Amino acid sequence: MKRRKFLKSLLALLGSTTLISFAYPLVRFIAPPSRKAEVKRLSLQKNEIPAGEAREIVLNNTPAIIINRPGKGYIALSRVCTHLGCLVGYNKAKGNLICPCHAGIFNLDGKVLSGPPPKPLTEFPLRVEGETIIIG
Amino acid sequence: MWQRIKQGLETRIGLEDLINTKLKSYSVPRNTNIFYTLGGVALVAFIIQAISGFFLLIYYVPHSDHAFRSVQYIMTAAPFGWLFRLMHVVGSNLMVAVIFLHLLSVFFMGSYKKPRELTWIVGWLMLLVTLTFCLSGYLLPWSQLSYWTTTVVTAMPTAFPYVGDYIANLLRGGEFVSGITLNRFFALHVAFLPPILVGLMVIHVFLIRRIGLSSPPFDASSEETKPWTEYRHVSYPNGNSFYPYFVLKDLYMVALYLVVMFFVITFIPTLFLPEASNIPANPLMTPAYIKPQWYFLAPYQMLKLIPNKFLGISIQIALIGTFLLWPFFDTKIERNILKRPLLLATFIASLVLWVVLTMWGRSS
Repeated sequence: MKRRKFLKSLLALLGSTTLISFAYPLVRFIAPPSRKAEVKRLSLQKNEIPAGEAREIVLNNTPAIIINRPGKGYIALSRVCTHLGCLVGYNKAKGNLICPCHAGIFNLDGKVLSGPPPKPLTEFPLRVEGETIIIG
Repeated sequence: MWQRIKQGLETRIGLEDLINTKLKSYSVPRNTNIFYTLGGVALVAFIIQAISGFFLLIYYVPHSDHAFRSVQYIMTAAPFGWLFRLMHVVGSNLMVAVIFLHLLSVFFMGSYKKPRELTWIVGWLMLLVTLTFCLSGYLLPWSQLSYWTTTVVTAMPTAFPYVGDYIANLLRGGEFVSGITLNRFFALHVAFLPPILVGLMVIHVFLIRRIGLSSPPFDASSEETKPWTEYRHVSYPNGNSFYPYFVLKDLYMVALYLVVMFFVITFIPTLFLPEASNIPANPLMTPAYIKPQWYFLAPYQMLKLIPNKFLGISIQIALIGTFLLWPFFDTKIERNILKRPLLLATFIASLVLWVVLTMWGRSS
């Protein structure tokens, strides 16, 4: 190998190694900071949510809603629309959940009724113990 | 004094020769129209954005606890803060409008054709960078409008399986838009994007000067009649000199741009600042009526109409890709769009569709 060609190859090798060695720290630097998984539970009294009413809460940093569905009982759903992340609101008159951004509509079980959302709202575990509702 | 400075520059850098060779001897086609000045107007618009942005940085605090209040302070308490903020807000919208018009006129006059494909691509990249500027700047006031528009935009990558969530989290710095997102967008807006846009501008101007300005294709004297097989500089020996002829035309349009900008600032200052932009961000409440800026209304309406998120976003990416690489799809030598009814019809139909979707998005 000629000296000039050797030096060119060496320079290319060193240059690319230098660049690549910066790639990993860069990816780590811009990655979202890791958060400790929270297993927070939330409890409410049944009389705080009469039939047909809803209560907005924040569960493990996620905006959520607990609805007391007439005849079907309580359900805890994420308020984060599965389309593009806006927060759905409870429409008591129509008995559904509406996303104000792109007009996605969900029923009170969290299933998509109309609009562009691709999947149902996330449901959180909920159980009723006596007069207490425990979510999470 | 002025003469001495001039003389000093003449001795050191040959000022007279520079002006003669780069400005006076550089000739442009005789039949250039006002649409040829839109690139220059966009450049001035960017300079205005940069200068007004520098002034805003004096008072703006890029922290989620203080950003909204600092912007309110700029608008209500800082001397003439309202002027610089409104220049920045109105200017950003007008800059997008000017770039849109520039691209439309370049398309209409077939100036993207060989050998100017690269100039077109760089121009398109500049539009995309400008829109990224707008999006990143939109979050900075930390208002309800900022917060929820950013939520929607940063959720778009989630349409793509496997990597979508990771990209969205990377953009936001977490699962939701937060103070971390604000810091990221601030860095993007003031540190990363400006050198990228300036770099693209330099390449764009270099390509225009290296290849030569295209002439309007609507008369027989158009220069690109012979096939382009090797590099040649397009010059116009019988054209008008760039200075003063074209520069004055440019200045006339810049003056018009400033008239429009100050008309809006004076008489309709809230045109681009709806109610939701005066309410601090509330991550627990999406406002009932939230709309993106006018230039995103068409894609916004498309997303509403197309029932599948992946399809909706993929179509938009495909459309951007098609326009970006258009010179490679349309390889016919004929530049005059009036002699190509199918292309003319597609052009008009696309424009009408864009206007309809924009109006629909605004009223829905």
